[in-house]
Amino acid sequence: MIEQKVVDPHFMLFEAKREKKFITGSEVVKEAIKRANVDMAISYPITPQSESMHLVGDIYAEGYLKDYYRGENEFAVMSAASGAAMGGVRVFTATGGPGTMRAFEMFPTWSGSRLPIVCAFMTRGINSPLTIQPDTIEMSFLLDTGMLMFHAEAGQDLFDMLLKAFIIAEKTEVHVPIGVFIDGFFVTHTRESIEITPEDMKLPAYDPYSAPVPVMDMENVPIRQIRDPFVMKSNFVSYAAHASWQQEIQAAAERSRKYIHQYLGGLVEVENEGADIMIVASGTAVSQSREAVAMAKKEGINVGLIKVKVVRPFPTEEIRSLTKNAKAVIVPEFNIVGWLCREIKTRIDNNEKVMGGPRVYGGMTMPPELILAEIRRCAK
Amino acid sequence: MELKKVTNYQVLPGPEGFLPPSAASMGIDLPGKDMSLIEGREVLEEEAMQKIAEKLLGAKNPVFFPGPQILWTWKEGVEEKAALIKQMADAVGAKIIPIPNHPNLTIWHNKIDVCVFVGVHCHYANVALKIIRGGSNCYTIALCGVAGHEDAMITLREAGVPSYKRLLEIINEKKGVSK
Amino acid sequence: MKKELLRISPGFEDVMPLEYKELIENGPYFKGYGVNDLGTYKEILEEHPLCAGCGLALALRLTLASLPNPEDTIVVGSTGCNSLGFPQAALQNIHSLFGNQNAVASGLKRALSLRFPDKTKDVVVIAGDGATADIGLDITMHSWFRRENITTIMLDNEAYANTGGQESGMSSKGTVLNMAPTGKKFPKIPVPELARVSGCDYVAVVSPYAPKKLERAVRRAILVAREVGPTYVQIFCPCPTNYKFKPMEALDIVKVKEVDGSYVSKEYFSPEAEELIKRLEGKKDKKE
Repeated sequence: MIEQKVVDPHFMLFEAKREKKFITGSEVVKEAIKRANVDMAISYPITPQSESMHLVGDIYAEGYLKDYYRGENEFAVMSAASGAAMGGVRVFTATGGPGTMRAFEMFPTWSGSRLPIVCAFMTRGINSPLTIQPDTIEMSFLLDTGMLMFHAEAGQDLFDMLLKAFIIAEKTEVHVPIGVFIDGFFVTHTRESIEITPEDMKLPAYDPYSAPVPVMDMENVPIRQIRDPFVMKSNFVSYAAHASWQQEIQAAAERSRKYIHQYLGGLVEVENEGADIMIVASGTAVSQSREAVAMAKKEGINVGLIKVKVVRPFPTEEIRSLTKNAKAVIVPEFNIVGWLCREIKTRIDNNEKVMGGPRVYGGMTMPPELILAEIRRCAK
Repeated sequence: MELKKVTNYQVLPGPEGFLPPSAASMGIDLPGKDMSLIEGREVLEEEAMQKIAEKLLGAKNPVFFPGPQILWTWKEGVEEKAALIKQMADAVGAKIIPIPNHPNLTIWHNKIDVCVFVGVHCHYANVALKIIRGGSNCYTIALCGVAGHEDAMITLREAGVPSYKRLLEIINEKKGVSK
Repeated sequence: MKKELLRISPGFEDVMPLEYKELIENGPYFKGYGVNDLGTYKEILEEHPLCAGCGLALALRLTLASLPNPEDTIVVGSTGCNSLGFPQAALQNIHSLFGNQNAVASGLKRALSLRFPDKTKDVVVIAGDGATADIGLDITMHSWFRRENITTIMLDNEAYANTGGQESGMSSKGTVLNMAPTGKKFPKIPVPELARVSGCDYVAVVSPYAPKKLERAVRRAILVAREVGPTYVQIFCPCPTNYKFKPMEALDIVKVKEVDGSYVSKEYFSPEAEELIKRLEGKKDKKE
């Protein structure tokens, strides 16, 4: 293990000289967590996430994490993560597909409990039938758990988003879990040239007493404290307290916007703004869209591309503004339900111009030609 | 690109209705560094403190609701903060009631028209402030040591010993003037 | 716990509720109180909304009174009758969901060991029979397999009492309860034996009607968990409400079951645990 220094996150992420490494998405997870000053990680095998957590185990063995173990199932792993977070440490875990489903009850629990856990999701299809291949349908199930959701396009995003997720999640007025989503196999198992920050720099440690709630360590007040109390006794204020609590979790997501701008440069990125045809996409669909846009340009069709980096909180005003003058909005997705299309359609005026597709799922790849066909159809 | 929806929402004393929305969901942002909020508007801290003093001195039954982080000397610096809060409460003639579990009952029962949150963990403060705005016409003030509370009518941020001292000064100035 | 946590900020003494002042002046922190001292001090649990005559409520009260170091104990509870006492309990505690209490406790214990390597921080799971033996059995046993340094205490009222009295894995064969209208079809789950085989270094079965034995079991379990490995205490708390008997009859039920073998109190030590307890208690024979 090399000696690491705590540095100002802004310096580490925006100013420090980066080196290029030709690594897989799984290796990106290792490199990011190595620099994230994580106290504890808990793992459980599930394809395509296992390699990431093997590597996190390896860096634990090298001394970059203080504790790490393999749990017995995803619900247990996510439960242990919540216990650790309540005990005041920075904790990381990962899952995907069926693992997400197995752990599911813990996600709204994490949010409601104000736990700044960062969890990587390597998206994978949902049974039945079984597939280990990529599919982002699980993201649609997670839209209303109160977790923030960052969708990495590829390895570089994954590296930066993981590190920035800890910083944003741990802000006192935010302090909710963040899911960093990456499409399984397409990114986890392919190599790209990634610019990573210096190995001898790490993020500042988590300060548990900066939390908006007491830490369960019998070293801070109040000592007569349960996390979380039942708010349900048969009176109006109990119900109002539960409602107000839920509102507070949503408010926490709203408060994260300014930090997302500060650290991620915004919830969206746009190219060729103002084109008649706009593609809105997230994750790997963005990469495929880039190809399609280039192909369309060769045919003389002008297409813009809005990359959605953050799904929760949703970039409502940005999407409204950027699609206002478009004649057609194409939303390619790697899932059957079209959750991104739904998110857009419910938020903009004149939503008949939103084309819900193309969509592929079950592990199918999305050839850029598919998107190009949709572009050509809209251009007529 | 940064896009902000212009908001007309104001964080005013209630009762706001069956279930008021959170100020954050209505587009109210927390104040920036060295700034405060008055009813959802970002203002200089000095202006907010003037208004706090005005509200407290003009109240019929002002009450301070200190939370555990002020009530117990659990870490370095708390005792000094607590002493200043006590002075403030005395200066405005406010009662002190440790943050109650059921803020509205306490507010209704005591006919509290202005209350001050200090030393309450941010999450619970936010939950309570919305309920107060929903069910009472109490004017809420938060002397927040962290990022502030959009759901209070007036909120400071990063309020510590210097802010408390300044606020106490303003209160005493105003009292001197009114006599 | 730092002693400063129990000091009211000067100037605020008069406004603090009496119960807080009593906790400071006459509470159990740093005093090493036990069940013999009950009635002379302000307990961790003084109020609860459980049924009149509830055996579990008594067991919970006695368990909390038996903690060797309440000032450095964090409880992880789970849904059930017992969890209704914890919002009022004067120590920090976590309400897990249901069944995952030992996983939450594992994460918590490890976190506290990292943050306070030189301090004792006891993490104690207190949960009902449904939470421990049914919905949480695998998670509970895995915390034992992993040898987590936590104490698991099951308050066994042999039913899902809080949800209206349904059959649980810990109900006896033949018992008629909700969801078992023609009687339970399979025997009571032998959790103490499972605990032994799963690696618990100390296992005890007690009832609240022998308070000193309960106290000894809870203390031993916690002391062994600190230094040796996982421990388990099962407390038999008959439920008058769902089993439909008068509260006064609870003691008779416990006695009858002790004698007929259907619920026998017992204690098991691994060799390391036995050695530790002998050393700490300074007795030649571990049995009193």
